Amino acid sequence: MEQPDAAALLAVALDTLRQEVIPQLQGDVRFKALMVANAMAIALRASSVAAPDLPEAVQLAAAIRAGHHDDDAVLAARLRAHAEARCQVSAPKAM
Amino acid sequence: MDEPRRAALQAWLPSGVEIGAMTLMSGGAIQQNWRMDVTVSGVAESWVLRMDSAATLTHSRPRGEEFALLQAAFASGVAVPEPLFLCTDPGVIGSAFFVMRCVAGVASAHRLVRSDTLGGGRTALTAALGRQLGLIHAIRPGRDGLGFLAPHPEMTPGLRFVAEMRGHLDRAGQVRPILEWGLRHLERHAPPRGDVVLCHNDFRTGNIMVDDHGVTGVLDWEFAAWGDPHEDLGWLCAKCWRFGCAHEVGGIGPRQVLYDAYAAQSGRAVDDAQVRFWEIAATIRWAVIALSQAQRHLSGAEPSLELALTGHIVPELELDVMRATS
Repeated sequence: MEQPDAAALLAVALDTLRQEVIPQLQGDVRFKALMVANAMAIALRASSVAAPDLPEAVQLAAAIRAGHHDDDAVLAARLRAHAEARCQVSAPKAM
Repeated sequence: MDEPRRAALQAWLPSGVEIGAMTLMSGGAIQQNWRMDVTVSGVAESWVLRMDSAATLTHSRPRGEEFALLQAAFASGVAVPEPLFLCTDPGVIGSAFFVMRCVAGVASAHRLVRSDTLGGGRTALTAALGRQLGLIHAIRPGRDGLGFLAPHPEMTPGLRFVAEMRGHLDRAGQVRPILEWGLRHLERHAPPRGDVVLCHNDFRTGNIMVDDHGVTGVLDWEFAAWGDPHEDLGWLCAKCWRFGCAHEVGGIGPRQVLYDAYAAQSGRAVDDAQVRFWEIAATIRWAVIALSQAQRHLSGAEPSLELALTGHIVPELELDVMRATS
């Protein structure tokens, strides 16, 4: 594959969008361009991290609902780490 | 609006009304709102026409019911746009619609949370929000015209909420251990039954129009239902509706000001623990809605960048749930 790769292309396109395009826009078009930039930024972050996995989510969800994990601090820490790992891609400001 | 629909609308409206300019306002994903400049017997007025968008949420309320809710709220002194006409015949302009008077002001959440002056300033506006909720909650079961609202179930509101959200997740095939964790927490900490009142159920920054002096319009009544007063207070205070600002009441102002103004208007003391319960519930409810909005994009039913990005709100909401429950 040619260089730059997908992540590097996204990064330079995002810089151009933010620094040269969006400042020229107003109103609804500006709002849409900000959403485009947001989507590109999420895609860029997603390309550089492994997708976080929660093993046996189906069984886990059912067991939590059934009350088998009430006050399970170890599980709570795991769930929190799972949310944090996904925030690193989707919403790093939340961290 | 195209010419045939505009002509059909003109023919449907009472004689004496002449439609001038019609412009699509920033519509939501669920409804379209059209601003109508009209003359009524020669006098200029501004109205808003509200109709369904192409795709609607399964729990979206028919326009006729939203109209009846506006009528009840208007009669109770809530700041809502005066409801004028209802048309339940989808044949006129393509879907049912109603017309209300246009209210002036700013509803943009991002502008509101960054302003120290809108609504009369942060403290005054926060108090006004408490009074508005107090007025809404003065509407109680048995009120004429609201018979379509489902009767309040046997379950307490907290347990009913948990059951509803589990139902939504199951029907959508969503496996979400963190939301399950939050729902189980709520199930174990559900408060006892309190007063049964009309809850707006989407009373938050972004749905409340203000001018320089106060609240001019409480918008978007389609989720209203009988419930507990603390449900609306929790929805308003939830972190996900603060739009990045620290102020605990919708990014606008301090919590105690809201509680005091609400208590003064309603005669009902606020239980802070119950508000916090409903803040966790609010976070879960928004996550469930966000998942369903993202699904509308993912399924191909309604490709949309806005809906697609809504799916990426869920991790932050799930982190909020874990921070509040562990």
